[in-house]
Amino acid sequence: MARSSNALNWFLHRITGTFLVFMLITHFWVQHYDHQVASVTTDVVTEKGEMPAYSEEARAGVKARFGDEAEVTPYNVVMQRLADPVYAVLWKGFNILFLIVAVHHGFYGLNNVLTDYIRNPMGRAMARVLSWGTGLVLLIIGLYSVITAGW
Amino acid sequence: MAVETAERPTTQASNDSVATQSSRFQRYRIRTGMFAWMMHRLTGVGLVAYLIVHVWGLKSLSDPAAFNALIAKYHAPIYKIGEFGLLVAVVYHAINGLRIVLIDFLGWSPKQKKLFWTLGAVALVLIVVGGYPSIYALAQWMGA
Repeated sequence: MARSSNALNWFLHRITGTFLVFMLITHFWVQHYDHQVASVTTDVVTEKGEMPAYSEEARAGVKARFGDEAEVTPYNVVMQRLADPVYAVLWKGFNILFLIVAVHHGFYGLNNVLTDYIRNPMGRAMARVLSWGTGLVLLIIGLYSVITAGW
Repeated sequence: MAVETAERPTTQASNDSVATQSSRFQRYRIRTGMFAWMMHRLTGVGLVAYLIVHVWGLKSLSDPAAFNALIAKYHAPIYKIGEFGLLVAVVYHAINGLRIVLIDFLGWSPKQKKLFWTLGAVALVLIVVGGYPSIYALAQWMGA
């Protein structure tokens, strides 16, 4: 890889890192603290297959979207966010950006760590292929999941 | 990054033997900054491992029953401990990364001692406030 592209990736690592701080705050808030849409509750469930209990806001939100018969399951709590077309596009856009930024940051960082300890050129090349290859596969899987969610 | 070394390896890089390579971890002198850097690496590698598991798990969004089963599983006690560990790793990595950016890009190196302890306090608050629900849920479950 050319020296200039390493410098670019190093610079991007700083930029993506800074962006991730703000994106993670949003992600954390939505997944854990927003009473209506948080899909992970402050509940410990030990029975196999038993669903966690959701807040009043989440129950009301799911029933308002999908009818009184709708079950308040983790899937439906997530689907509330995607039920409105405008919000669906916004959240999918956010998550696609989040995914790209996180994957670049993570796998460039992994490549950095690996090549700090591997000295022979063959090993370094393999570490690079492994890092970027795994990152690319994960990006494709993630993009597929985000784009098709709720279809 | 300038790294404190106890001694330089005497052999040339081209004919490094396995024995001298295995000693490279011991060359580091562990001081505050060095410790912060090593923890940054460790948490970074851990977070990449988590990212793989997390994105892989999202595939189940295409199947409501599978997604519900996955989220229900994530509410088991062991995952509440994992959730707390994840928060600690994320907060540490984010705050230390921010410290590096502030020192490098904004030239805050003259204030770095103060910055280090201020951000340390911020990290501690974030871990306590953010981690409270996981620990509370765990305590409730143990009491029940």
